[in-house]
Amino acid sequence: MKIVCDKRTAGTLLQVNGRMDAVSAPDFEKQCLQVIEDGEKTVVVDLAGLEYISSAGLRSLLTSAKKAKAAKCVMRVCGLAGMVQEVFQVSGLNSIFAVAATVEEAFAS
Amino acid sequence: MRVHGIAFRLASLTLLTATLILAAIVGYNYTVSRSMIVNLAEERGTLLAESTASQISGTFKAVQKVIDAISFSLENGNLTEKRVNELGQRILHNNPEIYGSAIAFEAYGFQQDRKYYAPYYHRTDGGKFDFTKLGSEDYQYFYMDWYQLPTELKHPVWTEPHYEKGAEYELMTTYSVPFYQSQDEHKILKGVVSADISLRWVQKLINGLSSRDDGYVFMLSRYGTFIAHPDESLVMNETIFTNAESLKLPQLRDLGRRMVTGESGVVELKGLPNTGDSFIYFSSLPEQHWSVGVVFSKKKMLADVSSLNSKVAIFGCIGFLALALLITGLAHRITHPLRKLTASANIMASGNLDAELPDAVSQDEVGELTHSFQVMRDSINNYIANLTETTAAKERIESELRIAHDIQMGILPKLFPAFPERMEFDIYASIEPAKEVGGDLYDFFFVDENNFCFLVGDVSGKGVPAAFFMAVTKTLLKVVAERRLDPGEVLTKVNSDLAEDNESCMFVTLFLAMMDINTGKVQYASAGHNPPLMLCKGKDAEWIPPQNELVAGIMDDTVYTTRSLTMQPGDTMFIYTDGVTEAMNKAQELYSEERLVEIMNQCRGKSAEQMVLTIDTALKTFTGGAEQSDDITMLAMQYLGKKS
Repeated sequence: MKIVCDKRTAGTLLQVNGRMDAVSAPDFEKQCLQVIEDGEKTVVVDLAGLEYISSAGLRSLLTSAKKAKAAKCVMRVCGLAGMVQEVFQVSGLNSIFAVAATVEEAFAS
Repeated sequence: MRVHGIAFRLASLTLLTATLILAAIVGYNYTVSRSMIVNLAEERGTLLAESTASQISGTFKAVQKVIDAISFSLENGNLTEKRVNELGQRILHNNPEIYGSAIAFEAYGFQQDRKYYAPYYHRTDGGKFDFTKLGSEDYQYFYMDWYQLPTELKHPVWTEPHYEKGAEYELMTTYSVPFYQSQDEHKILKGVVSADISLRWVQKLINGLSSRDDGYVFMLSRYGTFIAHPDESLVMNETIFTNAESLKLPQLRDLGRRMVTGESGVVELKGLPNTGDSFIYFSSLPEQHWSVGVVFSKKKMLADVSSLNSKVAIFGCIGFLALALLITGLAHRITHPLRKLTASANIMASGNLDAELPDAVSQDEVGELTHSFQVMRDSINNYIANLTETTAAKERIESELRIAHDIQMGILPKLFPAFPERMEFDIYASIEPAKEVGGDLYDFFFVDENNFCFLVGDVSGKGVPAAFFMAVTKTLLKVVAERRLDPGEVLTKVNSDLAEDNESCMFVTLFLAMMDINTGKVQYASAGHNPPLMLCKGKDAEWIPPQNELVAGIMDDTVYTTRSLTMQPGDTMFIYTDGVTEAMNKAQELYSEERLVEIMNQCRGKSAEQMVLTIDTALKTFTGGAEQSDDITMLAMQYLGKKS
């Protein structure tokens, strides 16, 4: 898994690529927490480059979202496609995450 | 001392080098001192030959002067008998080296009436002088060498040495000078004045210089006859040439030739009698055409060199032995701690890490090595202690995990057939955690006489946390389901319980169904679980449409809906966790839902157990032994219909 962190004026973009499973999920959680602790108010997680997400990966997304909420930070998810979109759909998570189609939309909304 | 040990190698290398140096010193010493001695001997020999020659010729020169002076005085003035006698007596009186002297006149040259006139004065044994008149019909001195040679050659002559009868066979040589009288511008020969000189003193001089073994001096006449030689038998009997012949020494003949022609120099000759290999230095007496030879024994000459050399060699050997002892001792001492360390290291190598190491007293490399060894041993001991501790801890955890696994498996219904007395349905389930304990669960039970509840769940993550969450979920589900609520209500209630204080955001996907076994009517609800497959008689496997409701445990106010369907006898519902479709082979390919549908279609007509086992086999074939990444749970529920 590879995470690209891009600080923009509108907020921070985290691009997640590769596989997010039980081994790599803690890395994402750590990086996300770092961004939130730095006082960022808008975080957009772009999952377009994600090939696979396991239940542990979903859990780390949920944990991060929960921490963002506590820090009054808005977290949005975008770029859902393929297997990841399917997982989001089946698990019903797209109902609790603020999901946008593209990065631009995510920052705009 | 061990042959391959450092001490032995050190000692032997040093001693070898010392030996080579010693040999070089002895060799150099021998060569240099030999050449020094040879040069010195050459100088000495040449000097001796020359000084002997000049000493002898000096004496002869004095005699020559006297006789030359007499001949001069004979040529001038009147010669009376008295005057001649006076001259003869004066010669002997003034010159002790002259044995005898004759003043011989030509026939009728002194007085008209006297054919022979040759008064001869000579010494007697008593030191007095005697007088003889030479010349008679028996002894016509005109024809003797001492007379004839100078008159014919018209210059003074030294005759060849000869034994003088009158002088008790003493070896003599004679110097003869012709004298003349001037008459009308002409020189007319008057006679010959001669002096006999004994060669005894020469022999004495030469013998005094000789010691037979070390070397000797000899003298040759102009024809190579031995005039003086330590071997008396050679004197006047042999020439150097006959001697060379009898000794079979051709080089001696060459030497003789050079000596006779008046050369001086040095030659080396091998195998001379008495002296063996020798150097011969030679010099000439030009007046007499004689030659002096000095013979030096090479062996004697070099005896000093040899003795010096053997002394050096002996000192060298003693030094070598001392050095050998010293080096052996030193090498032994230096390598002693190393050997002790080696012995300890060997004991350590055989596994005894408590072997005693020698104290690292010295500050040298061995000391450092010993210290390093001690540090290494301590490190290894610590490491082993740590490893033992870690291993013990790990074993304890593993043992606990094994027990946990047994407990986890124990809370799931594992006995099949589960309800052999029930003919209405056939149920079979299997679970295979990726680790010792997992987060998957399944369960089935009757909530009342006719309603049969079955469910499959998947907790996020794996391992111990997931196992705890699974156990909680499983217990909650059973308790809630037995309240005879419909599936949606059950999930709603369980979710709200799970979501309460769920700080870690763990969640569980659940698919729960309740079947009226008399009618085949199934009520079901899903909390984010992947949709099960339905294999109906005469049709391909189909997905039960997903409701996309949220996974349980996250939002406490989530409400789940209940849906229903009816199963016909022979229909099978297959519920599974994503460990099945997301099983990976070594090429990291997923098993996929397509493959699952395909294999399901091949299971038509099979019992629940056969179906699960077939899929399990297909799954194992696909993964080909790749490491299992997620828990795999399958549940097949086959409705057989009401048996009346």
